[in-house]
Amino acid sequence: MIEVRDLTYSYPGTAAPALRAVNLSIPRGQVVGIVGANGAGKSTLCYALTGYVPHFFAGSMSGTVRVDGRDIGKVPLGQLAAEIGLVFHNPFNQISGARLTVLEEVAFGLENMGVERGAMLPRALTALQATGLEHLTERSPYSLSGGEQQRLAIAAILAMEPSVMVMDEPTSQLDPVGTREVFAVLRDLARSRRATVVVAEHKLGWLAAFSDRLIGIHNGEIVADGTPQEVFSSERIDEWRLGQPLVTKVGRAVEVAEGRPRTGLLPVTVEQALDALS
Amino acid sequence: MNPLTKLVLAGFLLVLGLAVPWPGTYVLFIALILPLALAGRILKPFLVALFKLITPFAVPMILIQGLFWTGGTPVIGEGPLSLKAEGLLFSAASIGRILILASSFLLLSLSTRTDILMRDLVQRGLPNQLLYIVVTSLQILPRLQARARTILDAQRSRGLETEGNLFHRLRAVVPLVGPLLLSSLIDVEERALALEGRAFNRPGPRTSLIEISDTRREALARIGLSVAAVVIFVIRIAWALVS
Repeated sequence: MIEVRDLTYSYPGTAAPALRAVNLSIPRGQVVGIVGANGAGKSTLCYALTGYVPHFFAGSMSGTVRVDGRDIGKVPLGQLAAEIGLVFHNPFNQISGARLTVLEEVAFGLENMGVERGAMLPRALTALQATGLEHLTERSPYSLSGGEQQRLAIAAILAMEPSVMVMDEPTSQLDPVGTREVFAVLRDLARSRRATVVVAEHKLGWLAAFSDRLIGIHNGEIVADGTPQEVFSSERIDEWRLGQPLVTKVGRAVEVAEGRPRTGLLPVTVEQALDALS
Repeated sequence: MNPLTKLVLAGFLLVLGLAVPWPGTYVLFIALILPLALAGRILKPFLVALFKLITPFAVPMILIQGLFWTGGTPVIGEGPLSLKAEGLLFSAASIGRILILASSFLLLSLSTRTDILMRDLVQRGLPNQLLYIVVTSLQILPRLQARARTILDAQRSRGLETEGNLFHRLRAVVPLVGPLLLSSLIDVEERALALEGRAFNRPGPRTSLIEISDTRREALARIGLSVAAVVIFVIRIAWALVS
């Protein structure tokens, strides 16, 4: 479980806080999407949830972030890695560069954690299977396509079996099929292992379809928190610059065209739109 | 064979090759190094790489020493264009040393993955960070080249002239270096983030996916080879001081 209390953070040399008085509670087994415009504070929130703020990035921080009761501001990053995983958008820089094959790359984190060899191989192979890379085990990580590298970065963290997975635009290099697979893996991770999954994304349709809950962030503040339908149906969505899935925009346009007042929840998935039309 | 044993063996061959007088280097090469390359199933790539490595040194050395050895005995040709026996012998001695130097390095590099050797050393107590620096350094050049090409293409598409005389080419380097340096620095930060996420700085012992075999016999062989190398080195120094 993640508990954020009164978190305010500013990067070094900047006056305006990147996060302002953030309060948040995420139970285990939940898939939470984070939406917001560029520069709204999504990545900073991801870094704060994983301990990179304040451990890696300096700056001024007040408030606390607790994971399973532990204040992660007081635990060294090296120890947090086994419990909290972070995947960010540039897959190329997530390749360690210290291993020559895909299988060894996935096992790199396990080696650093001191996992016994007997347990290491099944964990690495399971992660590769979950991300659809099991046929590429002997390839060089640098010879993979951008999408494959992104899935490799996810597999490398999956193999470490963290209880919290935070992902900052993890599907930026993926095609629709790859995106669906990654989201399916994340949801399965949350359901089967009761892991907490937090995903910051611009692919709003996918977030709406796969998230249990959405958090909207604007100018470093949490402005919306609820189900995808609740958040994307908010009347202040444009003011907060959160954006909407295409199907939601169409739903609203239909309401306007029919002269209906804005009431209730708009559809955020194709299935919901079809239900509304039938 | 354990990678450390290969490293020690390569070191021993190097010391031995530098210590023995010149015809001995060739005997050592034929009697010891070639059979080792054969046993390691790397004979063909070994010979190809050795040829490529040695030729640029050997050919000019034979020509220069052979042709310009003062007061030497001509053995091939006549007059100023003759190759002198003394020059050729000196070349043979020098090439023999280069041969041993290059072949011991090639034996090791062709039969051992650098990352596995470094992993073995880390398991024996070398810092993990050192392993990372060595292995990534070997991979960084092709990646920097690829990035430089991308930046250069981007600059060309915006009208930068990279063809022509030396001045034009030098001028094209300036808009390349800045972005290359900056993007590399940004990469360093992201890579450091990724490494933290993979428990790179976690204290405590490491394990390895790849089983690195080692036996008591190999350990004894390493000790024997190391002691022998030191003894040969000391004898060689003493010999040089006496003679």
